Amino acid sequence: MRVGINPAKAGLPAYTPQRLGVALIVYIPVLEGYFQNSLEIFRYQLASLRAATSQEFDLLVFNNGSCPEASAALEALYQDGQIDWLIQSAHNLGKAGAWNWIFAAMPNELICYADSDVLFRPGWLEASLEVLDAFPQAGMIAAQPNFFDVLEGEGTAHLRLAAQDGYSLDEFLPSKEIIDEYCFGIGASEETARPFYQKPLPTITNHAKNVQAVIGASHMQFLIPREAARQVVPLPAVHALLRRETMSLDYKIDQSGYLHLSTLQPYVFHMGNTINDRLLSELQSITGRAIQPEGGKAQKNTPQSGVRRFMASLARRPRFNRLFRRLYNLLFQALNSE
Amino acid sequence: MRVGQNPAKSIDQVALPARITVAVVCYIPFLSGYYAESLEILKACLGSIWDSTLAPYDLMVFDNGSCPEVKEYLAAMQSQGRIQYLVLSEKNIGKGGAWNFIFEAAPGEVIAYTDSDVSFSPGWLEDTLAILEAYPKAGMVTARPMRSPEQYYSSTLEWAQSNPEVTVDFETFIDWETYRQHIVSLGTSEEQAREWYEARKDYRLTNQGIQAQVGAAHFQFSSYKSALQEFLPFRMDRPMGQVRSLDEQMNAASYLRLCTCRPYVRHLGNQLGGALSQTRDTGAGKRSQGWAELPLVKRLLLKIYDAIFRLYFH
Repeated sequence: MRVGINPAKAGLPAYTPQRLGVALIVYIPVLEGYFQNSLEIFRYQLASLRAATSQEFDLLVFNNGSCPEASAALEALYQDGQIDWLIQSAHNLGKAGAWNWIFAAMPNELICYADSDVLFRPGWLEASLEVLDAFPQAGMIAAQPNFFDVLEGEGTAHLRLAAQDGYSLDEFLPSKEIIDEYCFGIGASEETARPFYQKPLPTITNHAKNVQAVIGASHMQFLIPREAARQVVPLPAVHALLRRETMSLDYKIDQSGYLHLSTLQPYVFHMGNTINDRLLSELQSITGRAIQPEGGKAQKNTPQSGVRRFMASLARRPRFNRLFRRLYNLLFQALNSE
Repeated sequence: MRVGQNPAKSIDQVALPARITVAVVCYIPFLSGYYAESLEILKACLGSIWDSTLAPYDLMVFDNGSCPEVKEYLAAMQSQGRIQYLVLSEKNIGKGGAWNFIFEAAPGEVIAYTDSDVSFSPGWLEDTLAILEAYPKAGMVTARPMRSPEQYYSSTLEWAQSNPEVTVDFETFIDWETYRQHIVSLGTSEEQAREWYEARKDYRLTNQGIQAQVGAAHFQFSSYKSALQEFLPFRMDRPMGQVRSLDEQMNAASYLRLCTCRPYVRHLGNQLGGALSQTRDTGAGKRSQGWAELPLVKRLLLKIYDAIFRLYFH
């Protein structure tokens, strides 16, 4: 039975969320193979986010069914006060499934989503807000120029805006360094990278505010106003990382009349799953302190034995390459079956 | 940079949510004074849900800024697979804020909400679902016969009385012991409870062969998520005391506020006393362990997995 009065009823104020909420999805099912550095990279992400964000924000981390070690590490970060809301999901709900939670539930007026391997640079928020201010119709604003049209030319929201006075459709060719960095981040092959150097990116300009933005936004990191986020859920969510499902976000954004935009300069960087000296050096300049890799290691070319060299050369042959990839994925599924 | 292909892209299907999300909000800021027994009560609450819920469900717990001991317990339960979704909020965002979060995010079509000081007994969900499905526009169904204030169920009564297919009976249906148990658990004296009990009667409805009583309470209720979302967001500037608006708004929007005829849930308050038998650790809700989870097998597989990755991608 109830004895006494619940002190929570005494009229104390509850916490009022910040205007900005940042949401990160973490999925680290094992600490081996592809994911061997993922936890460390996530720590780097947090460090860069804290150092590079000029406004107070609430941080939500959605743990999408990671392994016990990763879950415990997230729990420790939460206990340490580095995470404001930690959602521990027993299962992997897929990226779209986690978005359904984030976009439906985050109370903040502006929601910044990022994968758990994104480095934030100073100015990312200011640049994103400048675009939002110039284009209030923006639904997704990425803080790096978008190189890949997810909507494959089917987007229409920007065309409607460009038809209005004061706006024009233009082009922008990023510098070689920007393209190099983008291609490095996604591990693009020469063949994949070549078109990026040749084709300018489509842009839209608000002449009254003198702001130009690249048309398109990547799923890796973007700012989305809460109002737009609420309109796009629920997204179909059956697969872990199926492009068709994550693309439904883009279609819904566009169909709702919202724009996909991105900044001209890269204020975020895709760290991926490897740690190298270049990354550590940049991280040091962002955070202002020396960064030493903990569990993970900076990738170095180590001498290989004859057997390993032979196996590695075998792995480069297309047929064996496919075989290894298949075996790798089968093992992954066996180890992470629900 | 990215090296290799993210193996998550090869996963054909992810876990799909159950139709029912059982959602619990807890706030235990310390384990003394008013909250001295609250952790034990939370354990009793969750234990009774695990023991008494037979239909498939996902359990979501929203911790609204509790003390470390409570978080530790919840994290342990989550890692054992007994809580499917654990939301840890570093700060108390109010009960309204927690409701905003869970009513928006809960993946189930039906949300069964409960405060963390409630115990459940078998049959609660089956009877609740029977009412939700038999009564059109059922908004809130509490798994215990309640006498709630009339202004919160006027629409329910109006609907029932204007619908010839619905039988309306008006008698004393709630027995004294059931009534007393709940009212006294709220801290009311037995004399006062007796006075209130004798002053009122109960409306019992029958529709499509399913009986339900008129009235519901916001300490425990089930609802369709789509119905709850009509009333979001709730104000969230105080830790408690702002959720009564759900009762008002549900009634104003002509949703039915109903309860089961049998008492399946029990308000425990902040002191257990002899109220509950010990909850059994049945392991219900645990994730099934596949062969790949066997430590030796897992270590071996992980080693092969890691070796292939290094060979193939580096």
